Amino acid sequence: MNELFALPREWLAATGEIGRFMGTVMGDVWGGRVLHFFGESLRQAGILIVSSTLVIWALMFILGLICGTEGAYFLEANGAPAYAGVFAAWCDLREIIPYAFGYMMAAKVGTGIVAELGAMRISDEIDALEVMGIDSMTFLCATRLLAAWIVLPFLYLAGMGGAFLASYIAVVQQVGFVSSGGYLLIFWEFQNPPDFLFSLIKAMVMATAIVLVGCYYGYNAGGGPVGVGTATAKSMVLNLVLVHLIGMLGTQVFWGNNPNAPIGG
Amino acid sequence: MAVVKEEEFEFHTGQNRPAGVPDAIQFIDVHKTFGSNQVLRGLSMGLPEGKVSMILGPSGTGKSVCIKHIVGLMYPDSGDVVVAGHSIPSLSDDDLFELRKKFGVLFQDGALFGSLNLYDNVAFPLRQHTEKGEDEIAEIVNRRLSEVGLGNANEKMPNELSGGMRKRAGFARSLVLDPEIVLFDEPDSGLDPVRTALLCELIKEVHAENGGTYVVITHDIMSARRVAEYIAVLWRGRIVEAGPSQELFESENEFVRQFLAGESSGPLGME
Ligand SMILES: Nc1ncnc2c1ncn2[C@@H]1O[C@H](COP(=O)(O)OP(=O)(O)OP(=O)(O)O)[C@@H](O)[C@H]1O
Ligand SMILES: [Mg+2]
Repeated sequence: MNELFALPREWLAATGEIGRFMGTVMGDVWGGRVLHFFGESLRQAGILIVSSTLVIWALMFILGLICGTEGAYFLEANGAPAYAGVFAAWCDLREIIPYAFGYMMAAKVGTGIVAELGAMRISDEIDALEVMGIDSMTFLCATRLLAAWIVLPFLYLAGMGGAFLASYIAVVQQVGFVSSGGYLLIFWEFQNPPDFLFSLIKAMVMATAIVLVGCYYGYNAGGGPVGVGTATAKSMVLNLVLVHLIGMLGTQVFWGNNPNAPIGG
Repeated sequence: MAVVKEEEFEFHTGQNRPAGVPDAIQFIDVHKTFGSNQVLRGLSMGLPEGKVSMILGPSGTGKSVCIKHIVGLMYPDSGDVVVAGHSIPSLSDDDLFELRKKFGVLFQDGALFGSLNLYDNVAFPLRQHTEKGEDEIAEIVNRRLSEVGLGNANEKMPNELSGGMRKRAGFARSLVLDPEIVLFDEPDSGLDPVRTALLCELIKEVHAENGGTYVVITHDIMSARRVAEYIAVLWRGRIVEAGPSQELFESENEFVRQFLAGESSGPLGME
């Protein structure tokens, strides 16, 4: 029975440590220490763009298609096919696309960071950095966070555009219960510019958490190659939990009191 | 603190024969324990300034741990480590980073950055800590790499190299900034006998050229004979005996004699 709760118990025990670690790394970015290594930050940004953009966009696009299809058939079944746009708008912007982004970030970027930093830790590369007089936490972790903050807002908004397109294709071109004009009217009526900002904030908080969790587990890996593997798995679990927590809290905070639903209005 | 059994230390005279110069690195009654494994048990030693010192000792006695204490990657549970007049455990992070810029360190398995090729690995400290242009960097890096026989391997990634090659590249990287304090953890392990001899020559040459305090860990008695000016013999977490190399090679101490002669009979067994 004890084994079953080992992981959550470990999180509770490590909350303080993880929190401190995250605070230090964010402080390095806010306080500008990371700018000593601006070149390395740009290099990391480049790596992020080249290696992760397409998979993240692909998942966002596919889930955009799904939101459209679900919405079209569900509202048709309830006698309001013209309102497919509501479902697509909310599903895309507020919920599913941020999650899709979070999942792929955790799977591709988060685990990648754990594996990379973990390998550096066990082969003494982090120690080597330290003895060269380089603050390894700033050099390895803060640069990755800054890179994420530079790249991901654009990546996310472009991906959101792709997901909108996907929903449009699914509802109007594929299923076809509603005309293009009718769909778009409703689609745009049920969201406004602040919603984009909220959605972006949601996604960026997720991304920040994912990068920091990845850095924490990689930077503190131990126990040889097996230890790095275990750390990778643990980081994925924690990241999925955090993605959902952030998604849920974000929806509560941003849309809980003001759903921005002009129904009957 | 666990009880110290005195019979474990019957050969440890702790005798420290003067080297005639002040110490650049001092361990003062250092204790370090990992879980139940007591590694350093009241280690006191001084390593003289401006000389090539060697720390010798059986495998697993804590030689690498010593190096990590000198550079502040590990802190003693009790006692003090003083390097160039600074007490390492009480330095602030920023001061420690400043001090470390004077170090050149070769880790036991090279610790090359896996994501950079050989050239970039060796150029890394120059790019981070100096304002030198790429031409000047190329000049230094190529010279250091050809000194260790890796002149044609610039583009290779660390995982494409043999263990000995990685070690030689790490050696080149540790010297690019002409450090004042050089720490080599077994620079000669994994090398063939001829390369070991050449590497010893290289250590002597570089030292004669740049000066500085060198601390070399080795298992190879031939290397010790070739380059050591000062020797400290470490066993069971303490110094057995230390002093100028000539005097140590003539020591009467049974353990020191067994170890420096590499004999199977004597106080040291497999344990
Ligand atoms: N980070 C660590 N955590 C726990 N134990 C450690 C750690 N580092 C070293 N040790 C222990 O300290 C002891 C000394 O290790 P060290 O690497 O210093 O040996 P060494 O003298 O360098 O041996 P070798 O000549 O084989 O390299 C070993 O028993 C090792 O298990
Ligand atoms: Mg060692």
